[in-house]
Amino acid sequence: MSRKLMHRLAAFLGLFLSIVPALQAQEYVRPAADLDRLVQELFAEIQSDQVPYEDVYETLLQYYQTPLNLNTATREELRSLLLLSEAQISALLHHREQVGMLLSMYELQSIDGFDLRSIYRVAPFATVLDGIVGGNRGPLWQRVLQEDNNALLVRYERVLQQRKGYTAPDTTSTGRLTSRYAGSPDKLLVRYRVSHAHDFSFGFTAEKDAGEAFSWNPGSRRYGADFYSAHFVVHERGRLKTLALGDYQLQFGQGLLLSSGFQVGKGAETITSIRRSNVGVRPYSSVLENSFFRGAAATFSLSKTLQATAFASWKKVDASIQTSTDSLAEFDEFSSGVLLTGLHRTTTDLANRKDLRELISGGNFTYTSRNSNFSAGLTAVDTHFDKAILRRSEPYNAFEFRGMHNLAVSTHYSYVLHNALLFGETARSSGGGWGTVNGVLASLASNVDASVLYRRYTRDFHTFYGNALSENTRNINESGLYMGLKMRPLYKWEISAYYDQFRFSWLKYQIGAPSQGHDWLLRVAFSPSKTSLLYAQMRLRVKDHDGDLDPVRPVPVPTERRSVLLFYDANPSAALSLRTRLQGTHYRENDGPRRAGYVLAQDVTVAVVPRVQLSARYALFDTDDYDTRQYVFERDVLYAFSVPPLYGQGTRVYALAEVKCSRHLTLWLRYDETHYRHHATIGSGLEEIQGPRRSQVKMQVRYKI
Amino acid sequence: MRKLYSCLCLFLLVSGHTLLAQGNGPGVRGARAAALGNSSVTISDVWAIGNNVAGLGQLTQPTIGFYAENRFLSRAFNTAALVAAFPLGPLANGKPKSGVVGFEAQRFGDKLYSEQRLGVGYGYRGSLVSIGARLDVLQVSIERLGSRRTAALSLGGQAEIIPKQLVLGAYLYNLNQAKLAEYQDERVPTVLKAGLSYRPNNKLMLNLETEKDVEQSADFKAGIEYRLLEALALRAGFATLTEQTTAGLGFQAGHLQIEYAAAWQTVLGLSQHLAISLRLDAK
Repeated sequence: MSRKLMHRLAAFLGLFLSIVPALQAQEYVRPAADLDRLVQELFAEIQSDQVPYEDVYETLLQYYQTPLNLNTATREELRSLLLLSEAQISALLHHREQVGMLLSMYELQSIDGFDLRSIYRVAPFATVLDGIVGGNRGPLWQRVLQEDNNALLVRYERVLQQRKGYTAPDTTSTGRLTSRYAGSPDKLLVRYRVSHAHDFSFGFTAEKDAGEAFSWNPGSRRYGADFYSAHFVVHERGRLKTLALGDYQLQFGQGLLLSSGFQVGKGAETITSIRRSNVGVRPYSSVLENSFFRGAAATFSLSKTLQATAFASWKKVDASIQTSTDSLAEFDEFSSGVLLTGLHRTTTDLANRKDLRELISGGNFTYTSRNSNFSAGLTAVDTHFDKAILRRSEPYNAFEFRGMHNLAVSTHYSYVLHNALLFGETARSSGGGWGTVNGVLASLASNVDASVLYRRYTRDFHTFYGNALSENTRNINESGLYMGLKMRPLYKWEISAYYDQFRFSWLKYQIGAPSQGHDWLLRVAFSPSKTSLLYAQMRLRVKDHDGDLDPVRPVPVPTERRSVLLFYDANPSAALSLRTRLQGTHYRENDGPRRAGYVLAQDVTVAVVPRVQLSARYALFDTDDYDTRQYVFERDVLYAFSVPPLYGQGTRVYALAEVKCSRHLTLWLRYDETHYRHHATIGSGLEEIQGPRRSQVKMQVRYKI
Repeated sequence: MRKLYSCLCLFLLVSGHTLLAQGNGPGVRGARAAALGNSSVTISDVWAIGNNVAGLGQLTQPTIGFYAENRFLSRAFNTAALVAAFPLGPLANGKPKSGVVGFEAQRFGDKLYSEQRLGVGYGYRGSLVSIGARLDVLQVSIERLGSRRTAALSLGGQAEIIPKQLVLGAYLYNLNQAKLAEYQDERVPTVLKAGLSYRPNNKLMLNLETEKDVEQSADFKAGIEYRLLEALALRAGFATLTEQTTAGLGFQAGHLQIEYAAAWQTVLGLSQHLAISLRLDAK
């Protein structure tokens, strides 16, 4: 009792010492979430446009838009915020157990391991409520009607210059017409969603990409827009924890078999982001046209400690189907793989559209001990295609999946031991391939955290929806060891670093021998005040790649990519935010010449009046070639993510206006332009533009109902 | 017209890459900046009108100045500039309430080839942030071939990350990418500079800066200023792109400020900079 009293006292002391006026003190005003800054921390350096950042960003955004209730959040939910160390989570749970529910956010100051910095980081994404989920709720339809988090979103975008794909076709020497896009250069997105955390989520999305045509042709399964998605998800209906109908995503264990868009991988957050959270069934409302499940999924709680999930998904995906000419061939019809772009602009794209039927079913059991320190589970995923998958017969494809059926089974675990969290997953796929990920996150001292992760995926390990931490984009043909460190040696300083070493025991595309590499990052961050941040980051990646030295028999040689980033972010007043970013890269193949890339960008964001916010950037870039191209994160309309590749010499500008017209209506307008020096044309193929400029407009309206 | 530009190209070629900052670029203003390897984007004196217009906002008294520069001991590479800055409105918290307006007239070159500039700038200081904007009318004249005129818009900002100790500055020169001629798409250089200045006490200043012209390699510059006595400052610096090492002195005599700088380029030799500025009593 005296301990409880002490904590309460400490909490109240913190409350009175806080700078917020006493009148406001009872209700902590949740600060606006600075997602752009969070993204800067999570995605340390964007090196490719192949990774679906847009999807990851949107998932994060959805996640962070519904604040986590610190009084009811489970250990797994607290971990999935990626902002708290394991020691802090344990301390919070212990505090809740000893003292009861938190009275206010200020009480966090009285918990061991919570310094002001962590509290400020978490505050935008968390609340303290005493409400218990499943309390006196009315009928579902009433709750849906009363829900605030209910919005319709319409987005339009278009490149202003004429691209080759939209011009009249040429006639080739054989008299055939060259390929052109079927539709207009407009891109349209319509999305509606109503959701409440731990209760329900309904929504639908329709999208037409640039170059795609609106067409009503049930024969080829085209109904207006090119892509539709819809979901219906309810949570916490007694023993039924989650029921999802329509489009959904799944994440279990370390994501070796099932991983949703909810992961960021190697970045400047070197500790928490390498572990995947066991978040289970989640609604899907994004626009990646292939990486989700369509059907039904349900999670039941069998007892207080045991949960079971079953799911089935049935959908058609894009694939180029070929017919075998050899009557003795293993398969009459086969495809070289699932096409992932989701673009259906040309006649070839349309011919491949939805040509492969994919049936996925499986389930998961997870046991979580009563004190939530230990959890373990079993996952099975069965994938069936209606036509065989046969990759092109190249040596690097020798161990790729072939056939129509794949079954993968895995076990995963997670255990808290003092200040360390041990976790892992091991899986086997049909054909004998296996993969394993095991790691430790440890709080070595109150200001030092460390992480270690070992992974090994054999060259014949096959999963289609797995995405555990790896250097490759898929979990195959890789082994590696990752070590991360994060220190706060002084109050305003933070040093984070990681070192990752990897090996690929079989050949890869454009790497004609077993290869290896390593990658390290060091970031020193200084935050002189609550609202400003200054950091310097260095990164080196050495990876083998076929050299240009002998074009007939290429030999992999080490290629080295060094990059430096200096970033300054400040909000000198509530209405003004300034960001300066300097980014440079050196790229070298073996002992070849060193090539360089450079970007200097200045951003300004001004709240002209409380309802209107303007952001703008001016950036200069200069890179020697495509290998030294630069990706710089840009502000975009809500839910969109923009990182255009910059190469050559030129300037990049954008301006973005966000106007809150009323409580219901928000409007975004964006214009961006890349101006290249010394380029007569931009892009290639059907995307080619005549002239040195590429500009784009984007408009988005959100109506909150 | 073709002739004019081939002549111009030849000139730029002959003058080598040490003249990158010229050709209607933002250039160097004041011997203080010159002595610091031109790492001047965070500085707020009267010369800020050309180095980073945001710095103007901190002037409290009307100031006029004269600047002369000779490059490589050649008469053809002389620059002369006259500047003036006037605070607007009464002083509040040690800064003019309505900002500071500045004017500049500059000339580079000789009778054969010359560049003229007329600039007007405005700087405003908030609590920890200063912003500024500037408009230049630029003219290039080549004897017997005529002249060309264009206008360039520039923006600047300075922010105190740690008040009075750590300052960040950024300056964007010619954001409209003003065109001098259609031939070979010749444009006035668009230059973005950003730098940090660390001032642990009121005697010492350490500057680091990067400058990028769209069409040239990036320049990295560093400078140090040490105020030995109240009236005497010692300075040194270097710039990587132009491979220049610089050093200089600054004297304060009442309202008069006299500065001198010398810069050494291994191949091309010595350049000298002299600046005099006078603070006038506010009315």
